[in-house]
Amino acid sequence: MTASAPTPPQVTLDPAPRVAAVEDLRVYFQTKAGLVHAVDGVSFDIRDREVLGLVGETGSGKSVTARSFLRLIQTPPGIYAGGSISFWSREARDTGAEPIDLLEIPDSEMLDVRGDRIAMIFQDPGKALNPALTIREQIAEVFYQHRSAELLDGLDEERSWIIRRAARQQSRALERFLLKLPPLRSKAAKLRRRVDEHVAAALAETQIPNPKKIMASYPHELSGGMKQRVMIAQALACNPDLLIADEPTTALDVTIQAKILELIRQLQEAHQTAVLYISHDLSLVRQICDRVAVMYAGRIAETGDTEVIFGDPLHPYTRGLMAAVPSAAHKRGELTAIEGAVPELVSPPPSCRFHTRCPFATEVCATIDPALVETNETGHRVACHIYGLPPGAVGEGPMPSFERRTR
Amino acid sequence: MTTMTPDVTDSTRAGAPVMTLRNVQKYFPIKEGALQRVVGHVRAVDGVSLDIHRGETVGLVGESGCGKTTLGRCISGLTDPTAGGIYFRLSTEDRARLDSLLDTPPEQLSAEDKAFIDRIDRAHRIDRMSPEQRRIYRRNCQVVFQDAFSSLNPRQLVKDIVARPLRVYREASGHELTERTVALLESVGLGRQHLYRYPHQFSGGQRQRISIARALALDPEFIVLDEPTSALDVSVQAQILNLLHELQRERGLTYLFISHDLGVVRLMADRIAVMYLGEVVEQGTVEDIFERPLHPYTEALLAANPDINAAPGESMRGLEGNVPDPANPPQGCRFHTRCPVATPICGWEVDDAVQWLTDQARLFDTLTAVERLSEFDATLVFEDEESAAEVAGRLTAGAVPPPMAAATEAVEPQGQRVRIRMRPVERVELEDLGGSHLTSCVLYTSRRRDVDPGYTTKLTAE
Repeated sequence: MTASAPTPPQVTLDPAPRVAAVEDLRVYFQTKAGLVHAVDGVSFDIRDREVLGLVGETGSGKSVTARSFLRLIQTPPGIYAGGSISFWSREARDTGAEPIDLLEIPDSEMLDVRGDRIAMIFQDPGKALNPALTIREQIAEVFYQHRSAELLDGLDEERSWIIRRAARQQSRALERFLLKLPPLRSKAAKLRRRVDEHVAAALAETQIPNPKKIMASYPHELSGGMKQRVMIAQALACNPDLLIADEPTTALDVTIQAKILELIRQLQEAHQTAVLYISHDLSLVRQICDRVAVMYAGRIAETGDTEVIFGDPLHPYTRGLMAAVPSAAHKRGELTAIEGAVPELVSPPPSCRFHTRCPFATEVCATIDPALVETNETGHRVACHIYGLPPGAVGEGPMPSFERRTR
Repeated sequence: MTTMTPDVTDSTRAGAPVMTLRNVQKYFPIKEGALQRVVGHVRAVDGVSLDIHRGETVGLVGESGCGKTTLGRCISGLTDPTAGGIYFRLSTEDRARLDSLLDTPPEQLSAEDKAFIDRIDRAHRIDRMSPEQRRIYRRNCQVVFQDAFSSLNPRQLVKDIVARPLRVYREASGHELTERTVALLESVGLGRQHLYRYPHQFSGGQRQRISIARALALDPEFIVLDEPTSALDVSVQAQILNLLHELQRERGLTYLFISHDLGVVRLMADRIAVMYLGEVVEQGTVEDIFERPLHPYTEALLAANPDINAAPGESMRGLEGNVPDPANPPQGCRFHTRCPVATPICGWEVDDAVQWLTDQARLFDTLTAVERLSEFDATLVFEDEESAAEVAGRLTAGAVPPPMAAATEAVEPQGQRVRIRMRPVERVELEDLGGSHLTSCVLYTSRRRDVDPGYTTKLTAE
């Protein structure tokens, strides 16, 4: 959005209710070299029905942040050192109940959230799917785990515990044998058919042609794009409140990537799910996200509406990152590179994490940690001393431009 | 093979040819069973002709599995092509004569012509050249690989890695060797302090710099850059791309830049070849490819590429379907199975009808066998007569893509069997449309007069 474009009247008086709120999240890793501060004080909200993009380079802590939602970080070596992730499910929002803290709830409750209320799509569908199970079995697992009551609906008048356990995929060898014998056989077959219907419906939603054929196949028989569709079907099977997509298209070709993104966007609208979209690709994030948070070295550098961030980036890192993407406007050899590399995150001193690479760094950047402060635009927040220092000076006068460096 | 001899003025403008590829093929055998019998071939590269001239950067783009890396490995001599010639430093005159000879059937060649071909092979063809020539070629053709994590030996010091080529070619030793290694490291933005470190002590960008220093050690003429920045973050990618450009300017290097990232190729390349399923489908200058793309596949790649400067919703249109099996590539134009503007002469075959059938859940389950007479003539056998009749009805009644229906010459149901005959189509070839812009799309080549008038919307606009 350029400055001259008339801004439409803001209808942000009643912002959408929050689905999740991350407060001062800190995730550390114990290594031989010391305590690595992978995520170090990250705060952001995800609002209902929005796609929030989390962008950053390798090692910025974006995947660790996302995995913390489902407590998928192995501890040890990981340490949840502080902060909270509040999560409001649909019922909680409707009834006005208190949110649950995803970092505090017991494991048994976490099992009910994972895959049901919060689902995740992983980066490499080839690795995330189990090569030894058919597609049907992998998606059916979601229904057995979270929808066994629905599967049993009208099936278990006699309250047969064998069937009930079968619907939760908890049958022992003897029970599995009994399920093959006449009194239970028809019910078991009916349960199976019902699961098949659910699985086929979930697959059909991701525009897979001939879902019956796909259900019987193993992951290695499918192409990368098809595998990612299966992952999406699995993630959306229980109609989650929050979908976390961790670089879902990085392993795919561009022509397939465009299709998958279109699909995620369509399904997000159909299911009215909030999406946390993680990517290192700025161009993609611009295409599909409503809001963006830019991460650098375990911190949020800047956050705001997509058009604000891309139209008027404030943080030197965001600006450098955008200038580094090759485009038609660049001349050869004149790409604006950010000098240096991401700093070591072992026990970092209190300083702006970007100051070693920042062309505008001053002494204050090396000693004081800038806080994420609101600029004059609603919702646009940036952690940089250039904007933090004299209050009210934000947005006045042009910022010095990145000088062209050849190497 | 059609001739694609560029005129002499063109080649002098861009410099003398460094690499000349003629109908290069690389097939990998598929082996099966206890005896490892060869049951087929994956056609990774299938008939590529390309010229790379001194001082230019040729971009090679395509999706994964299109054969671009295999082609790069063939050009750099890491693997020998199955057929076809790769010639190093072939002069323009020799190239013109060779092209005319390669077009003549072998039995019509005179003894003199055969002697000429033999002489050229010994002097220029990289898989047949004499050992002395090969040594010259090897020094002058270097590679930078995609993954700098696996292409540097983790047990060697940077000093050993970068100095290795100098030592192998006995260029320097002792103190001089160290000094030349330092000079190389300095030319890529590293320094003396990095000599005695191991690769794991470096970041991805620095490792790629070490790879580049190693490639530069023998002062080569030509470097194959195989996705040199795809494992790097954008900010580091920008550093490496700037470095590569600067080195090219200083040393007059020639690059083959292999990448799947169109933005990077647009920035770095002078000319671009677009590959799909082992073939080059379009070739031209950067302006040709980006401003005036002809082949529908090139257009699809451009449309799918996310653009940071585009407002949301403007860009990114995907392609339907999957990349076909390279062991059994489609007839005619290999892109026709996914092409949005396909015509009846694009190479529709029986496999396309079978592929269409796999998406018709119930009908596909009743298919029991496909008896092929040729790619364009086969009989489908079904379990029952009703299915056969239904398939025959649908194949003619417009349930299939219109160009496929138009290419179908006959559908004859006989009981449980349906015989399908399609219009046979020759393989498509790259054709020069003038100004060194080449494409193989039938909408633009000499075959376009055969195109059904209903599908010429783009042509009439031309």
